[in-house]
Amino acid sequence: MGGELDMAIASAVSQSTPRSRLSALRLGRSRLWLLVVPMAIFFLAFFLFPVLSLLADAFDKPLPGRVAPHGDFVLTNFRRFFSLAQYYNSALLTIEISVVSSISAAILGYPLAYMIAKIERPAWNTVLMILVLASMQLDGVIRLYGMMVLLGDNGLINGTLIRWHYLDKPLPLMYNVFGVIVGTVQITLPFMVLSLIGVIRSIHPSFEEAARSLGATRWRAFRDVTLPLTMPGLLAGMLLVFALSSSSYVVAALMGGWKVWVLPIHIFERISNSGQWQFGAALSTILFLINLSAVFVYQFVSSRLTGGRT
Amino acid sequence: MSQPIRFHWTIWLGAAAALVVLLLPVVIVVMAGLTAGEYLTFPPQGLSLRWVIAFLRSPTFFPAYLFSLELAAVTMAISTVMGTMAAVYVTRTRFKGAPTMRGLFMSPIVLPGLVLGLALYVFYVTTNIGLARTFGGLLIGHVLVTSPFVLATVSASLVGFDLSLEEAARSLGAGPFQAFRLVTLRIIAPAVSAGAIFAFIISFGQFDLSLYLGTPNLTNLPYAMYISLRYKFEPTAAAAGIFAIALVVASMVLSSRLVNLGKLVANTRLRW
Repeated sequence: MGGELDMAIASAVSQSTPRSRLSALRLGRSRLWLLVVPMAIFFLAFFLFPVLSLLADAFDKPLPGRVAPHGDFVLTNFRRFFSLAQYYNSALLTIEISVVSSISAAILGYPLAYMIAKIERPAWNTVLMILVLASMQLDGVIRLYGMMVLLGDNGLINGTLIRWHYLDKPLPLMYNVFGVIVGTVQITLPFMVLSLIGVIRSIHPSFEEAARSLGATRWRAFRDVTLPLTMPGLLAGMLLVFALSSSSYVVAALMGGWKVWVLPIHIFERISNSGQWQFGAALSTILFLINLSAVFVYQFVSSRLTGGRT
Repeated sequence: MSQPIRFHWTIWLGAAAALVVLLLPVVIVVMAGLTAGEYLTFPPQGLSLRWVIAFLRSPTFFPAYLFSLELAAVTMAISTVMGTMAAVYVTRTRFKGAPTMRGLFMSPIVLPGLVLGLALYVFYVTTNIGLARTFGGLLIGHVLVTSPFVLATVSASLVGFDLSLEEAARSLGAGPFQAFRLVTLRIIAPAVSAGAIFAFIISFGQFDLSLYLGTPNLTNLPYAMYISLRYKFEPTAAAAGIFAIALVVASMVLSSRLVNLGKLVANTRLRW
């Protein structure tokens, strides 16, 4: 049915004169802007304004329990952040966990992305794509439940090994930095795989074939040809994993068991327990700045790697 | 060239490891929800529906599941209409500021959900416009985080769209809206549906916003599970998870029929 419609319209187009086509276009364009009005107003009122006023809040004098911004431009909150070890160490811990997670996700995600990109059977391709997309879309808390049942002190791994007398006391798999990293990698892996698939698929197989025909081993052909060509996707995926991991509250809360004090935990705790809205806003700003500097590192590295080419 | 590609054993091993990491937690949730015992052990103690029934009778998880469905449905309706309209504008306009506008619309994806929830909460409380701790307030947050996905999906399908089709309808006497509805909307309908499904699922699994915008009577499933996971591993929560997993798998199978998933992924890669 769609095909018939297309054909009828296509034949009509070939008969229309250039002049009528132009005027039709103009009429359509003049009121085009009306389409974007709802989303633009919505985003100005409920996104840009609230986020910017939260930023302004970070520069206010700390007044516990008071939410409203009062517009005095002071750096008290940021000074407090840089003078107390628990806060700047927490920023460093957040960066550390995010860097380790993004490297682990890259190593773990690459082979799967390579296979999905190169597999030729459409049915298999669709099945693998659905598995990756479905695990991306499934609510993170549900997946964390599965991981907690697996890794907990009485969980499947520790419980089974203790019952079979391989262990006396549980291995520390959760409620520590290791657990947070495992949780983060699980949650972010689909994003890494998806950002790799497109770029691996865009490399023509003849590049690798050429290297092989010149006598390179499979490993060398991969290391010297495929891997450098897929660097843009790899870096973009690592940046995405970094941003997701540094801003996740729920992974650190559940897998870290309130023992791993990353920035999102501090933000929540400062505001919910002590009502320090201004300091919480300042910590949010710092978290945002960390992500922003990750974007700059990404752009610097990728321009160095591609030598100015994009 | 036509011979099927053969993967090195390291690729097989690595891909298998990644699939285990992706799927094992999901399998464990399903097994924990169907276990016959008080909690999941290895080897499992047998199957039963006792926890599924407990979920359906649960005073916390079942209402939370229904609330998630309701919130996701309303979010989907608003995000789909607003996002599709904006996608048509962004892909067709010659306005120089359109890429900036698109960047603004896409930015809720990069802003931490915790920070967005906090910003909205402060905004509701200080402006006192009656949105703090209401359904509307939570809904606004959900529309913000889901509409970028509709925008990305729909604009990907509009990029290669041949405008002369719409012009043809216009030259045959259709009004601009009629031409759009009869021609363009029919062609991009699969992408719009896929965007709607994405919006639904993302809203359904959204946790971070609820930290500040949720209340005891506005508790969605992820938040209810988080509350219970802080203290114990209730198999009832896992049974609730089974229903959420079924929903996600069904929606992915459905959207794989609507759009070419590989093409979509290639087109919606985030631009930094």
